[in-house]
Amino acid sequence: MANSSFVYVTYIRAPKQKVWDALTKPEFQKLYWFGGHQESDWKKGSSWKMYMPQHGLTDTGEILESDPPNRAVIKWRNEFRPELKEEGYSRCVYELAQEDDLTKLTILHTIEKENAKLIHAVSGGWPRILSSLQSYLETGRAHGDTRSMAAQAHK
Amino acid sequence: MSAFVYVTYIYTTPQKVWDAITKPEFARKYWLHYNVSDWKKGSRWEHQKGDDSGEVMIDGTVLESDPPRKLVTTWTRPDKSKEPSRVTYDIAEYSPGLVCLTVTHDALENDPAMAASVSGGWPKVLSNLKSFLETGKSENIWLTKNKG
Repeated sequence: MANSSFVYVTYIRAPKQKVWDALTKPEFQKLYWFGGHQESDWKKGSSWKMYMPQHGLTDTGEILESDPPNRAVIKWRNEFRPELKEEGYSRCVYELAQEDDLTKLTILHTIEKENAKLIHAVSGGWPRILSSLQSYLETGRAHGDTRSMAAQAHK
Repeated sequence: MSAFVYVTYIYTTPQKVWDAITKPEFARKYWLHYNVSDWKKGSRWEHQKGDDSGEVMIDGTVLESDPPRKLVTTWTRPDKSKEPSRVTYDIAEYSPGLVCLTVTHDALENDPAMAASVSGGWPKVLSNLKSFLETGKSENIWLTKNKG
């Protein structure tokens, strides 16, 4: 079946465990994910929910695979915009690999649909979130401007 | 794959991003190699090996130059064994103090090996560029295993 995908690779000067914690713990997410956070215990089969400050619940799903701090796979559906929700579930893979003092983080977000609007939307959002994550972990200073992020991520 | 696109947001100024891409004294701090040209439209540019041997790894022509906002070059194997591809750097101030850099490497249809190589290389170069501009720490990225 034809699908759409977005892949992003970034190298962050932080230990793999710190990158994992930043990706999965709400107290860290709130600092760089433009005020958003996720609720999950990150165990296989558990539910996963994302909240953004301006919109409340924006995305829901389930943890399909979890191997802290190396890999997580999320079954992910947008709940916030009807045209994205109707595309159904996507699959988002986080992969972390330590290379000396760097962590190589790969995000692969796919859906079994050609020219999917969801993938178009996340293609704008992921670079902003992951740039903010890199700044946060390397300098302590994430990227601000919560409101424009929420608007951007869901355009 | 015919195009590779990478977007990154960096706490810096457009001029510093431009200088980091175009000036060897900056590029050598975060890029394995560095770029040499006068960066005028129609001029030749060379991607020279970082060991100062002067060896040309990639070369090409400056197609468009609008410092510090936009640079477009061809990207050619020195042996001219394949059709040139093309790299576009778009540098824009996204919000006060935050620059959005978009690198688009396209026209790769005729060189799948180059497409594979640059899609591994750009994320490493551009993550390291961000670290260099935000923290000054950028050395050694190319010495880690899985050299990209």
